[in-house]
Amino acid sequence: MTAPGKMAGKTLIFLIVVVFGVLMIIPFYWMIVTSLQIPQNLRAFPPKWLPQPPTLEHFARAIEQAPFLLYYRNSLIVATIHVVLSVLLGLLAGYAFAVYRFPLKGFFFILILSTLMVPIQVTSVSLYILMSRLGWIDTFAGILAPDIASAFSVFFMTQTIKSMPRDLIDAARIDGSREIRIVMTIIAPLVKGVMATVALILFINAWNDFLWPVIIINSQTLRTLSVGIAFFKDPYHIAFGPLMAATTIATLPMILVYIGLQRFVIKGIATTGLKF
Amino acid sequence: MRRFLATVRRNRWHTAYLYIAPVLVVFGMFRVFPAIQTLVFSFFKVNLVSGKHQWVGLKNFSLLLHDTFFIKAIDNTLIYALYIVLISGFLALVLSSLFTSKMKLGSLFKAVYFVPFITSTVAAAVVWSYLYDPKFGLFNMILKMVGLPTRGWIASSRDALMSVIIFSIWKYVGYNMVIIIAGLQNIPDVYYEAATIDGAGPLTKFFRLTIPLLTPTIVFVVIYNSILSLKVFDQVFVLTSGGPAKASTVVVLELYEMAFLHYRFGYAASMAFVLFLIIITITLIQYFVTRKWEVEY
Repeated sequence: MTAPGKMAGKTLIFLIVVVFGVLMIIPFYWMIVTSLQIPQNLRAFPPKWLPQPPTLEHFARAIEQAPFLLYYRNSLIVATIHVVLSVLLGLLAGYAFAVYRFPLKGFFFILILSTLMVPIQVTSVSLYILMSRLGWIDTFAGILAPDIASAFSVFFMTQTIKSMPRDLIDAARIDGSREIRIVMTIIAPLVKGVMATVALILFINAWNDFLWPVIIINSQTLRTLSVGIAFFKDPYHIAFGPLMAATTIATLPMILVYIGLQRFVIKGIATTGLKF
Repeated sequence: MRRFLATVRRNRWHTAYLYIAPVLVVFGMFRVFPAIQTLVFSFFKVNLVSGKHQWVGLKNFSLLLHDTFFIKAIDNTLIYALYIVLISGFLALVLSSLFTSKMKLGSLFKAVYFVPFITSTVAAAVVWSYLYDPKFGLFNMILKMVGLPTRGWIASSRDALMSVIIFSIWKYVGYNMVIIIAGLQNIPDVYYEAATIDGAGPLTKFFRLTIPLLTPTIVFVVIYNSILSLKVFDQVFVLTSGGPAKASTVVVLELYEMAFLHYRFGYAASMAFVLFLIIITITLIQYFVTRKWEVEY
């Protein structure tokens, strides 16, 4: 290709990338603009691309109508317990699968992985019946029950620990270290990068989880953010200003955290996604 | 007996079982047991209050065959999956190949494309329900500004499913791109250098080199998107609730309503079982296909 042709091609590619980039962002931009727009402007045609003048009244109304702080707290509790337990139990099980040889090892490993093929969408009905027998409907225990451990975490911890030199473990054993000490003081620091990646992906999933929480939660005080937002949208009576303020409250902090961690997030998804 | 205990001790079987026990107990109770129960319940009429379930044989399944809503849901789910796999996959492939040439601000745009994926599906769908609003939504306003006829979007039975599909493409294209870009970076540069020396143009390189070497990644993306599509629920629930008049209903939504609005748990379980059969079929296809197309560099 000639030099000017190459230039034109590069510019065209760049333009396509920019146009799609704008399409990705517009919904969020419009959400924020609407949440700050005075009510009269919401129905303006042509649409007003900037809040003129900006107002916080939609935010005030949204907070008045639903306890978003409480939803935040609930989402944080659920996601944190899920992540901490899944990573910790994944580390222990991963160590066992990677280091020991024991009867039925292969069977148990496959059994754990096979649960991935039976997603919550399939098991929700019988899981609900089980929860009702345990009296766990509308409790934190009920929300968390299917998510205490994660097959994804077990798989990744096993793969990572397997790839580490055995000598480390053997040396520690000769020094008389107990197994749990080896896991916690030798293995854990070495695999902390993988643990962080797994934790991050589990956190995003738990934070955005909807189907199971919406099934198991009845009372408003237990609602997670996703459930709270879904029910904030009253189909008969939509006030878009407060609704966009509510979704801004729900999404903006996550987006800001993501901007801070984006390299790490994308790298984590790329490496775990491909192998999984 | 003593020798057995010595073997246990020497191989640390007790520690091994202790370490996998929590995961096994939790998964046994809350994943494996409900999975088996789903199959069992699909042959029963379930009574949640009394706990006495009535055996109905294959009646639930024969009802399913004549359930027009469920058939519509299967139909919609498959259409949805097909569009997501084809359009989202194709778009991601094209956009990813544009990204590889060392582009200005490349990592910034990569980050931008990924934002929809990390935000909650429910929250994002709520925003889109506003964009799609026939009267005050941004999409119709833009159509009006450029002089095109406006559409009914989620409020019209003709556009509803397509509106959900467009939302989901927007939501997942970034994820697919990240996976495909990682796959592209795994292809060693020497292949491209060799092809350049042989005089291959960019299009030849794309079709004769990139596509074949990327096949495992593409297969992964196709399977991941099909399974994700079969499980679709959140965005349908928020955007259309399966309407208008069931025009955009999907399998999981039907299952959810049958169980948790109509309390017909046995019947819902039979729907779940059908969903499971579809997912397992696709997973098995994935297993055999990926084994066949394993690429070694």
